Amino acid sequence: MSDLYTRWGYQPVDLPALEVYDATHPKAEQAFTLTDPTGGLLSLRSDFTPAVARYVAAHEFAAGAPVRLQVSGSVWQAIHPDVGRTREFHQVGVELVGVSHERADAELVYLARETVRLAGLTPRVELGSPGLLTALMHEAGVPHDRREALAFAIDRKDVSDVERQLAAAGIVGPTADALLAMPDLYGPVERIDEAERWAAGDASRAQLRHLRGVIDAFDDPSELLLDLGMARRHTYYTGITFRAYTPDFGQPLLGGGRYDGALLPYAAGFSLSLERLERALGAPVSEPALDGLAVDDQVADRLRQAGFRVARSIATDLDGVRREAERLGAKWFAVGSEIHAIALDINVNAIEAAAQGRDA
Amino acid sequence: MNKPLTVALPKGRVLEQAQRALADAGLNLRLDVDDRKLRHEAPEGTVLVMRNHDVPKYVELGVAEIGVVGKDVLEEAAVNVYEPVDLRFAACRMSLIRPAGETGPIRRVASKYPHVAARYLAGQGIDADVVHLAGNVELACISGLSDAVVDVVETGSTLKANDLEEVDVVFESSARFIVNRAALKLRHARLKDLIDRLRSGVQ
Repeated sequence: MSDLYTRWGYQPVDLPALEVYDATHPKAEQAFTLTDPTGGLLSLRSDFTPAVARYVAAHEFAAGAPVRLQVSGSVWQAIHPDVGRTREFHQVGVELVGVSHERADAELVYLARETVRLAGLTPRVELGSPGLLTALMHEAGVPHDRREALAFAIDRKDVSDVERQLAAAGIVGPTADALLAMPDLYGPVERIDEAERWAAGDASRAQLRHLRGVIDAFDDPSELLLDLGMARRHTYYTGITFRAYTPDFGQPLLGGGRYDGALLPYAAGFSLSLERLERALGAPVSEPALDGLAVDDQVADRLRQAGFRVARSIATDLDGVRREAERLGAKWFAVGSEIHAIALDINVNAIEAAAQGRDA
Repeated sequence: MNKPLTVALPKGRVLEQAQRALADAGLNLRLDVDDRKLRHEAPEGTVLVMRNHDVPKYVELGVAEIGVVGKDVLEEAAVNVYEPVDLRFAACRMSLIRPAGETGPIRRVASKYPHVAARYLAGQGIDADVVHLAGNVELACISGLSDAVVDVVETGSTLKANDLEEVDVVFESSARFIVNRAALKLRHARLKDLIDRLRSGVQ
């Protein structure tokens, strides 16, 4: 995964896990805190983004030029651990800082899709726009103290609650209808056309135009999904957000978006948890430590000399070796100098030639 | 993509009403007569029958794509699911309850819904401890274990019989149709249709 990001020009950076505690940190309430001997309050990083922002601020990058960074490491969140939610997990993320542009957003959505593909899963990347919802709430005149609750109801797609809240705030007419329509505008990306009639103000139209620009950057938008009801963290995300799903897995694999002004003037990125990806794959992500198993020591040696990673089997009978190889995640196994394939993409003849000490 | 859906439903009264609402919306889930069975296979879907407090978790994790559960339970679970339809049945109120006429300070509150109670008390600026009990929480109030309880009230007859009164309504509750977040996106055609039918059913 790191290779993918490097090939796209994302520079790997090493960031500290210990931070000075900051109550204004977007995930401050989820941070594990600790004190140093002088009584200073520290926290373990609960998210990479603030450390990235500090890194960018401390280095003099050319103004107006995009900065591409990738991070990888453990993060700690002080949450109640549960199925699918651990307090320590391994996060991988990329950040594209210094520009705010459709092409920058499209690049991240594209990379998100490639990330899921690289893991061997079918990607479905879903786009939303908290920026559009904020604009619509502004245009409807929703008072600031009611926006959090309203955005939360929209995000849950609880249309009856959205209706109640708008009525309680005395908001009626087309701007209210626009907010009521958003939770149900999800599915294929073409549904963005239906949003046109609801975006009446300059700000909402600009947000919609931007979202359309990101979608149009894709040759095959059928791989994308839309959800204009995505309102999670609408005060943090200022433009688009996106998530990646894969069929038959109940949780998003990855999430990100644009957060201009929150920690840096212009910034967008995404992150994923390797543990969750591992659960989606149903098997460890890490490559098995070997290519094959061999019963015979001489055969094993010849294969090792040919560059394969080969372990000696404990079992010696065909079925036993096969079971052992499968358990170890080996791609093939050798009984005598005969090669038996387990994985589908194995060139048995070439390996057999190496096992017998001849050229393929 | 037309795989049958897995549905999480709570045991008890809601089970029958939820089945009827889903059947009216075109999702027929005939359950076997043997009510000790936990999993029922019907041509249109698999039904998992469970305690109501477990429904949100099954749907959040995607073990079941959809479910029906009361808003009271959903508020307590605080899970990441969609709740697109208010099915209106199983209506009740989540309320703050005290012995009739009691006006003293609230120092300790008992509830089957500790998160709901803690959030409500924090919102009201009341500094009280929350005691998590498993059931018949009104007893806590009568016996002096707590100064108040936060619990659901349907008819209010239990309150009257025990000389208790509703002091404040925390929120109104009713049964909700909930959907796993990823499932709604990956199977939107099927689920959007079901949601539309359920909504027109409660109009």
